[in-house]
Amino acid sequence: MSEPSVIARGLRKAYDGVVAVDGIDFSVRAGECFGFLGPNGAGKSTTLKMVYGLAAVEGGELHVLGQDVARHRRDVKARLGVVPQDDNLDIDLTVHENLLAQGWYHGLSGRVARARADELLALAALEERRDAFPPQLSGGMRRRLLIARALVGTPALVVLDEPTTGLDPQARLTVWESLDRLRGEGVTLLLTTHYMEEATRLCGRLAIMDRGRIVDEGAPKELMRRHDQPDLEAVFLQLTGRKLDA
Amino acid sequence: MIRTPSLRCALSVWRRDLRLFSKLWRGTLLPPFLDPVVYFLALGFGLGAFVHSVNGIPYRDFIAPAMCASATLWASSFEATFAFFWKMDHSHLHENILATPVEPEDVVLGELLWGATRAVIYATSFLVVIALLGYVHSPWALALPPFLFLGGLAFGALGLAYTVLIPRMDYFTFYFTLIVNPMFLFGGIFFPVDSLPEWAQAVAWLLPTEHLVSIARTLAGGEGSLMTVLGHSVWLVIATTLVTLVPLYRYRRRMVA
Repeated sequence: MSEPSVIARGLRKAYDGVVAVDGIDFSVRAGECFGFLGPNGAGKSTTLKMVYGLAAVEGGELHVLGQDVARHRRDVKARLGVVPQDDNLDIDLTVHENLLAQGWYHGLSGRVARARADELLALAALEERRDAFPPQLSGGMRRRLLIARALVGTPALVVLDEPTTGLDPQARLTVWESLDRLRGEGVTLLLTTHYMEEATRLCGRLAIMDRGRIVDEGAPKELMRRHDQPDLEAVFLQLTGRKLDA
Repeated sequence: MIRTPSLRCALSVWRRDLRLFSKLWRGTLLPPFLDPVVYFLALGFGLGAFVHSVNGIPYRDFIAPAMCASATLWASSFEATFAFFWKMDHSHLHENILATPVEPEDVVLGELLWGATRAVIYATSFLVVIALLGYVHSPWALALPPFLFLGGLAFGALGLAYTVLIPRMDYFTFYFTLIVNPMFLFGGIFFPVDSLPEWAQAVAWLLPTEHLVSIARTLAGGEGSLMTVLGHSVWLVIATTLVTLVPLYRYRRRMVA
């Protein structure tokens, strides 16, 4: 069995004295889809930001793809793809150029970056919008472009923060299908969500987060069985005394 | 501790900016090319009708090469302030870049190099205009662009040092009113710095404009000795390196909290 993609031990982070992540342990196996389920402010995004290098690890240890992120940020990021919660596409560049520039950031030569951009444009079914600018795209198309952009560096691990928040059901389904395909290719997925349907549909294992801590962890079915509840919403209510989308 | 940037990663950021510029320069980015020309015509022919010469040099010949420095100042300052802040704080462009192998120090270096590149493009265009109008008096003018690039780095470093410290874009009013405009007006472009009070001369000497102006007057105007170019360049290199440490240090703490 290959080594885990992510290992966190006692991971901790505070912003201005407010604890966002309060000493959590988890590990993500290579090739699985691991999800953090929890309400807004639970510490999910902060955990992800530490994984992809936009938040410094304050306490504990975090190894990603076999390397300590605190010391090997550049190497780790080279093998990561990130789909952020807020759309941060380059609005001054076209759809195609967004993918092209991402190739440059990953150190691809002009020719290789162009070929990669063409390939991903086809994969995301955005060929017809090649020369459009991001604000001209629908929400679902922008999310597809964000996912395609995350794949430019051929990552071993893709990190997605709330991948379908704000999308209509049809667009959400399209995103789920593209994530299924990635998993089928052996790419490890690490995501956050506050939709239990998404968590059940996509994730092999889940960590339920609340107030900076992991309150329980396991396969969706296993969690429901363990707490004797019909769905994850009810599991969360039982664990925290609060509703998930509060 | 300040980490050393990677030139290769910095150039990927530079390349993105160049791509955007190459698409826009014929449109919305065209007016800044005309700015120094307008100033030159207004002051050279307007004020120049009253002020015939400075230290024996005809007024238009006095200001023409020096205005290559002001073109550099404005172009580079714009990139290091509004443009950088936009990418850092509003469009979240930098957030995406920082999630790739590019590190914060690479972004600072890449944007700094880009600002200087844009400055050279604008300032060299102006140099061509004044050459065509007959205000360039030395073939050494051909050697000026690398020094304009150096000047662009100096102004850019100063702008970035301010930009990474402010919380909101509104604060640029202070920078432009209290730093950029005085550098433009009191940097020896329109009248010699030695007509200023001594304390003001000392301040002017600390800022990049006067040094770049002297270099431009020597190379394009044919005034002064080539040895002084070396002295001014050494000063620009040292000052730029020191000032760049501020954004290199501060930007990482701002972006990767």
